[in-house]
Amino acid sequence: MEQYKLFINGEFVDADSGKTFETIDPGTEAPIATVAQAGKADAEKAIAAARKAFDRGDWSGLTPAARAAKVQDFADQITRQGLRLAFTESMNSGQVISLARFMPLISVTLLRNLSLAAVTKFPWEEEIPVSGNAFAPGREFIRREPVGVCVGISPWNYPMYIACWKIAPALLMGNTMVLKPASYTPLTALIVAEAAKAAGIPDGVFNVIAGPGRELGEILCTHPDVDKIAFTGSTEVGREIMRMAAGTIKKVTLELGGKSANIILDDADMELAVEGALFSNFFHQGQVCSSGSRVLVSSKIHDEFLDKMIKRAESIRIGYQMDQTSHMGPLVSKQQLATVERYVKLGKEEGAELITGGKRVEVKGIKGGFYYAPTIFANVNNKMRIAQEEIFGPVLCIIKYDSDEEAIAIANDSVYGLAGGVFSTNTARAERIARGVRTGTMWINNYHIFSDYCPFGGYKQSGVGREFGLESLREYTQIKRIHVSAIADHKSNMTFQIMSDYKKVDGFSYNCPTNVVAGHGALSSIYKAVADLGCRRALILTDSGVNKAGLAQLVKDALVDFCVGIYDNISPDPDLETVDVANAVARELKADCIVSVGGGSVIDTAKGVCVTLKNGGKINDYLNFLVLTEPQTPHIAIPTTAGTGSEVTNIAVLTSKGGGRKLFIIDTRIMPNVAILDPRFTMTLPKDLTVTTAMDAMTHAIEAMMSTLANQICDGLALHAIRLINENLPLVVADGSNEKARLSMQLAATMAGWAFTIAQVGLAHGMAHTIGTLHHVPHGVACGIVLPKVMRYNVDHAADKLALVAQALGINTAGMKEHDVALAAADAVESLMKKVGHPMRLRDVGVPEENLAICAFHAIADTAVIFNGRPVSDPNEVLQIYRQAY
Amino acid sequence: MKRRWKINPIVKLGPGVSQAIRSFLADKGIQQSIRIDLYFSGCCDSSLYLCVDTIFETDLTLELDGLTFVINPEIYQVVGEVTISYVDEMGRKGFVLTSSKPVGEWDGFGVSDIKIQPNLYV
Repeated sequence: MEQYKLFINGEFVDADSGKTFETIDPGTEAPIATVAQAGKADAEKAIAAARKAFDRGDWSGLTPAARAAKVQDFADQITRQGLRLAFTESMNSGQVISLARFMPLISVTLLRNLSLAAVTKFPWEEEIPVSGNAFAPGREFIRREPVGVCVGISPWNYPMYIACWKIAPALLMGNTMVLKPASYTPLTALIVAEAAKAAGIPDGVFNVIAGPGRELGEILCTHPDVDKIAFTGSTEVGREIMRMAAGTIKKVTLELGGKSANIILDDADMELAVEGALFSNFFHQGQVCSSGSRVLVSSKIHDEFLDKMIKRAESIRIGYQMDQTSHMGPLVSKQQLATVERYVKLGKEEGAELITGGKRVEVKGIKGGFYYAPTIFANVNNKMRIAQEEIFGPVLCIIKYDSDEEAIAIANDSVYGLAGGVFSTNTARAERIARGVRTGTMWINNYHIFSDYCPFGGYKQSGVGREFGLESLREYTQIKRIHVSAIADHKSNMTFQIMSDYKKVDGFSYNCPTNVVAGHGALSSIYKAVADLGCRRALILTDSGVNKAGLAQLVKDALVDFCVGIYDNISPDPDLETVDVANAVARELKADCIVSVGGGSVIDTAKGVCVTLKNGGKINDYLNFLVLTEPQTPHIAIPTTAGTGSEVTNIAVLTSKGGGRKLFIIDTRIMPNVAILDPRFTMTLPKDLTVTTAMDAMTHAIEAMMSTLANQICDGLALHAIRLINENLPLVVADGSNEKARLSMQLAATMAGWAFTIAQVGLAHGMAHTIGTLHHVPHGVACGIVLPKVMRYNVDHAADKLALVAQALGINTAGMKEHDVALAAADAVESLMKKVGHPMRLRDVGVPEENLAICAFHAIADTAVIFNGRPVSDPNEVLQIYRQAY
Repeated sequence: MKRRWKINPIVKLGPGVSQAIRSFLADKGIQQSIRIDLYFSGCCDSSLYLCVDTIFETDLTLELDGLTFVINPEIYQVVGEVTISYVDEMGRKGFVLTSSKPVGEWDGFGVSDIKIQPNLYV
């Protein structure tokens, strides 16, 4: 009789105790080999060898390609042992030889296919272009790394193949392994170990210990050096393994029991369905976890199906497994035979109708063996134990149903969810049913089809995780995220500053890619700009006022035949629906470029349309920071006000009814491609709008300077914007046709826009957004009223910047203290506002005093407040500012 | 006719087992025998378990600690003497059944509750 030893650290060794056990041929009950019986000491040696091998790095540290090459050598060695493996598998497990002869082949194929996948398809490293954290820029990527020491516990029904389900992904992913084959069928796993040694798999990377599950299971599943357990076996043992693994938080993959439904529809091809039901149940004597042991048959074809099933089942040849003419061999053990007999008895007691089989079979010329006849129960109720519990033998339960819905309900009435089948000539109907059944695998017009690239595993109590395919490779890795900060300076790290008194952010990124074309007649550049962008179908977005003023028509004429339409239904303070409706128009017209002609509302709407036109969906999907990864639909902005600066900024402000406030898209990708600053487009702007939009620009500039993100580029842009506004706003108020002053105001707004694109805004904007949303106060008006009050509030945190602002506003600061100069800046803003007729108090623009408190609570939650030069956390302070502005 | 076991001991009870079974029966308000039975616990493993059940004529029965245990004789022939333990430690709570002729290599690895045999199927 052959003798097999344990395989530990690259050597075949006896058990530490010297114990052995016999393994038998279930077809004859004759012993065929003795095997060293591992105990606790051997398990610990195997784990130690695997741990040492993993930590040594001569396997885990190889490149995926180098490991795959070794696994291919391993596959070659298995191929060399193919004949021996097939015979041993058949003799030890009871698989008929017509099945067992494929086991080496499909095991090798699995190793080779997963090797290829590991090298060519597996995402070892993945870039994360959008981190989802706008405050901490940096390169983000993930690496998939091996888990460590993996324990594989394989069952007796497919001893070699299921062992390879675990060996292949574990080794390919860089892990080391201790494999414990089932005690009924340990032989082929130990032959596979010979192949591993012959292939030069490094010592300790792959270890095989045979022995009792109860004793070895406990040490394998609780040892602190084991990182992962992959188990195929019973739900009861799996549950215990999960509990044991919890002690040291091991990763667990469990492929457990099943009681799968094979659904025969009334339109099924009868012969195919009969063969399918037969194969799904009696293949390998029913000892398959995915067996379709509940055959659900439409009442319309039940009787005919049953007749054919009986005839076909009774034609199955049962014989010794090594006989090539045998369809079915023996069960694996006398215990399994007893279990099957117990269930058949139970089925009869429960009232099911035994219509064929239900008895042991004696094979001619053989004494002994665990043979059992193909058995069919009819009139089975799904509540019966024979329909609820896995039998793992050649016992088929036929359950009648009346409708597709009932079939799905019956199929789902199980604690298991491993597999299932549908037989039908209508693929759409079959797939609808397959989608409704809660299992990990559904076969349509086929059964028991396993494929190396297709995941296999269970829903519900059938398991956790997946075998096969890329999914199985993932199961044997863990994910490491690596963040490499784009700015390595603690004074530029907004997150660290939560625990610091230093609230400024010193580092910055300047990215303002908009091509600005400015000056009288600048509109003419649009024709070339559209062509340069590779577009031919520009849609003009505007508002009705601008359209009526003839400005949109000017643009249309300048576009010649590149214009596909003018859409002017954009209201002030646009909401999300406004964007979605405009996007629908753009999509209908097949626009490939958006030209916005208007103020901030129109340009921000256009930014939203560019995003949804490019990416699909609704604009609500994109209300976030820095989530876009590609250029958006080209956008040319032609501002008709000198205020928002939206023609060059990275922000779109949109009202969210759901959110109850203005929300933002902030993203470099939404900056318009081209901004055309043609003063003719602001010449007709009424005086009041000229003033209030200018104060919006002024607020951008001053808040950018006070921001925690302020920097010298921002300051330079902002200061010049402030100077231009201070000098030119009175001129355009006095004479709206002063084209030179109008252009200067446009340039000021653009520069202020750039300034706050780099540095953001602050509390004044948070407060203005709030009263704009709650009380419909125009944004520029609201900004202007609260700006001087916020400047005073910030004075101790931005005195240096405000002193520069004061100078830009023309104040002679000679001899003044910085603090006083800063306060003078606020006074100067108010003086300018009075001079140009800007509203000065909230009460004058319809804000009720009793609502100020609630406004304060909303304002403090506005995103802009995050960047205010003075930290804002007390709503009472904000309320005081509102009261000052009231 | 009930067949009494002649050989002792057929069933061994560990500490706390009788009390745990009595508590279970009292909690459910039932007074029936406890069957030691064989079931398939999924993909490749059979197990022994306990269930509340009626006694069949062919069953072997044993009175122990005021409880009646029954087992199908064919199953007894396969599994031999059964030892029942009760554990309640570190999240592991229930009955552990082992037999002199183990039903599988994982014999006694898992724990189980007492099931109640459903009697009526329509």
